[in-house]
Amino acid sequence: MNLKFKGKKITGILTVVPANEVSFDDEMENYNFSAAKSLKLKLTMGYNKRRVVKNEDCVSDLCSYGLNYLLDNGLLNKDEIDALILVTQSPDYFMPSTSNVIHGKLNLKKDIICMDINQGCAGYLVGLIQSFLLLDQESINKVVLMNGDVLSRKVSSKDRNSNPLIGDGISITILEKDKNPDSVIYANIKTDGVFADALIIPAGGFRLPSSAETGRLEEDVSGNFRSKDNLVMRGDAVFNFVQTQVPPMIDSLLEYANVSIGSIDYFMFHQPNKFMLQKLADKIGVGYEKMPNNIVENFGNSSGVSIPTCICYNIGENLLNNHYKICLAGFGVGLTWSSMLIDIADLDFCKIIDY
Amino acid sequence: MDNFYEKMAELLEVDKVEDSEVLKDFEAWDSLTSLSIIAMADSDYNIKIYTEDLLKLETIGELKSLIDSKAKK
Repeated sequence: MNLKFKGKKITGILTVVPANEVSFDDEMENYNFSAAKSLKLKLTMGYNKRRVVKNEDCVSDLCSYGLNYLLDNGLLNKDEIDALILVTQSPDYFMPSTSNVIHGKLNLKKDIICMDINQGCAGYLVGLIQSFLLLDQESINKVVLMNGDVLSRKVSSKDRNSNPLIGDGISITILEKDKNPDSVIYANIKTDGVFADALIIPAGGFRLPSSAETGRLEEDVSGNFRSKDNLVMRGDAVFNFVQTQVPPMIDSLLEYANVSIGSIDYFMFHQPNKFMLQKLADKIGVGYEKMPNNIVENFGNSSGVSIPTCICYNIGENLLNNHYKICLAGFGVGLTWSSMLIDIADLDFCKIIDY
Repeated sequence: MDNFYEKMAELLEVDKVEDSEVLKDFEAWDSLTSLSIIAMADSDYNIKIYTEDLLKLETIGELKSLIDSKAKK
């Protein structure tokens, strides 16, 4: 479905990643494969370093740290926050919502709406869409959108399918009303719940509560070991889904916005791995320099946080004084896929800090 | 399907491949190779192959038949 938003803008993006860094080379011995095969995988997929939480750090810890950084540095005023949205698939608790927990930690004003959204790879887009909808309200002038996941805690260290790419982190995006009446943001979003099991953590919810049985490691056909408490991904299904659905979605977005592909400065896409992004760039017909694919090798794939990480890492400095037309796209768990054409300019901040 | 054999040889890291050769017997055969075949099927032949399709196959020749049959549809 096509969506259109008027008079809204992004005014700042902060990404927070755990200081703890692990390298692919150090973890190779965990996998049931030869060193040569693992190195080939590393080169093709762009695996190298990734940031993951230590101990039992939670999404609310990283979000609170990032919000306090903005408050302490005068980049955000506590009383101006009218809505606090958190998009996560690794909440602190089933109840209450983690955004409420963060609200309490920061002691924010009570005249505010807090909301958790369960979305992953397309979570940045879904979060933006929800934030723009809230900004239509007269009493809402500033929305703080947080994306955050610590899914490394749910991935088996013996799963070569998912472990080498998973990263943790959170991002904070500030959204405000734009007085310029000409600014239009175009978006589209689609869903296919038939493939809800393509990316899933089978146990731990109400359908299949965690038990000794769900915690038992089992070997799959490719020699990976994981339990039902772990995240599991059908890589082939996800690959085929992305290559089939994403290019026509981008075509359709550009047609809807009546914009040529050449007029777009950057394609800031979700970062599953380098291989998939290069295939996607080839299919859509844009150069790799316009569609950065370097987040997995430097930070890991942190689900809905990967797009803001990609923006901050690659053009963060430039966005403080420049104006870019950017195409965003997120695709994965759900399955959900969404894209957006948005002008981003003169941000108050756009950087990555360590937790 | 002109350069199917050349591409398979490249993916399997050998000089040439023949129909009778068994996929699992190649030193380079692993889940990354199967993903590369899935990607090749998508980009070169515009067809979808899944890991479970590949697991049912024995030989290079069977893979070629699978791609041929899907590409015709």
